[in-house]
Amino acid sequence: MDKSDLPFLSAGELSRLIQANQVSPVEATEAYLDRIDALDFRFNSYLTVMRDQAMADARQAETDLQNGNNRGPLHGVPVAVKDQFWSEGVRSTGGSRILADFVPDEDATVIANLRKGGAVILGKTNMTEFAITGFSHRYSTPRNPWNIDTYTGGSSSGSGAATAAYLCATSLGEDTGGSIRFPATWCGLVGIRPSWGLVSRYGVMRGVWSMDTVGPISRTVEDAAITLGVIAGHDPKDAYSSTEPVPDYRKALGGDLNGLKVGVITEFMESDLVEPEVLQAVSKAIATLGELGATVEEVSIPLSMDAGVASAVLLAVEPALAQQDWTKDRIQDYGHDVRIMLLTGSLLPAQAYYKAQKLRTMLRRQVLESLEKYDVLVLPTSGKGALRLEDDPPITSKETAGRLAFLFTRIFNLASCPAMSLPCGFDDRNMPVGLQIGARPGGEETIFKVAHAYEQATEWHTMRPPGA
Amino acid sequence: MADLNKDEIRAMGKAVGLTIEDPELTEVMYSLNALLESLDAINPPGLNDVEPLPIILPPA
Repeated sequence: MDKSDLPFLSAGELSRLIQANQVSPVEATEAYLDRIDALDFRFNSYLTVMRDQAMADARQAETDLQNGNNRGPLHGVPVAVKDQFWSEGVRSTGGSRILADFVPDEDATVIANLRKGGAVILGKTNMTEFAITGFSHRYSTPRNPWNIDTYTGGSSSGSGAATAAYLCATSLGEDTGGSIRFPATWCGLVGIRPSWGLVSRYGVMRGVWSMDTVGPISRTVEDAAITLGVIAGHDPKDAYSSTEPVPDYRKALGGDLNGLKVGVITEFMESDLVEPEVLQAVSKAIATLGELGATVEEVSIPLSMDAGVASAVLLAVEPALAQQDWTKDRIQDYGHDVRIMLLTGSLLPAQAYYKAQKLRTMLRRQVLESLEKYDVLVLPTSGKGALRLEDDPPITSKETAGRLAFLFTRIFNLASCPAMSLPCGFDDRNMPVGLQIGARPGGEETIFKVAHAYEQATEWHTMRPPGA
Repeated sequence: MADLNKDEIRAMGKAVGLTIEDPELTEVMYSLNALLESLDAINPPGLNDVEPLPIILPPA
């Protein structure tokens, strides 16, 4: 195989070739670095490319393999990581100007786990400022490989762009309100927010402590399964990380869906926030799950459409508290929409925060009750495909204050449940549409099983963005 | 619920050590009023009877 073709393999395919000694980690890393050099000026996906360290890691991975020291399925595989994670000796800006020169002296646990697993880290990916909003970037704005005049979705925008543009084999994002699934759906990728506590948050710049989760953004379901398996697991540095053993998620892949019960959340399917082409693609995907053997029924979760408001309160208050010193002393160093969000969050009354948490409890009960009857819940990830790039507009009325009402990810953040977005078609502008699959806490294997069955029955994952 | 005006927003800012002036003041006013109004409209039965536990603790 020609070296320049290596980046177009899935992470799983590349891993198998590396393990079989048919491709060297050095060759694969060079191929990705060459593509980054040649193409990333179009996509703005990386904030820092770790060229020298990546090549050194690749050479070490090759030596280890030659010595029989196989570290697992990401050994020698080039990956990208969001700049929200500390990286030892490498600047970690969190997408902000405030941390433009911040160089941590240790790795976040997810990065340490990637290194233990032999992965080659290509660099730190672009993101919205402190992962606080879905659009605002303090450096360049990442561009969507399916149409470079559109957004990737955020906040893990650079991980979405890099993965869709074949500038890494797989990547890591962080999802507090949808920041993995949002770029996954708009970039035609597979992104999973794992159960809260499955992956350590140590060294991850905080959003909402009880909703922050790190997970993969990948091109295939298998790639996401491999990546999650490497980063998950108990971490003494994160007191709330799970002590349960991490399964090999690849074992969940394969087979039909006989006996599985799928609940379709009616409130989202009937919402006027869903564009007709998105509804059509998602409905067809759900019908395919039925053809694969699943029992499909409609289910109502009455509070589901209120998830956006309840989570918006938490997503405003907690970052404002976490950054209260900078909000007081350096507010003009923030970009426009983050500045407004932090000031708003600083003024929200305690009663509002308390009410939002109570609504969260009620919503979570409704979701968990539904998941006693159904193995998974399905819905669109977003009501619309990728928006065109535009300037960050001022808020000129109460009606223009909210920009993400079409994003349907937050129900699972509030419920502390795992959820995945995977490609299920295109809208009338040929922009990707995502199907979202949620399960009960700890239900990642069920999600992987359903997603893999659907992926293998369709061809969406084989399609390549025109810009890549 | 009446909307908060600019003077009230400015005073709330002062109470938490923030000096908020235009152009941010106007935008924060809209943003805060929109959020409070939306939250105020959500009142499902039983809301007063639940406790706001924010997480499901993973297995110890």
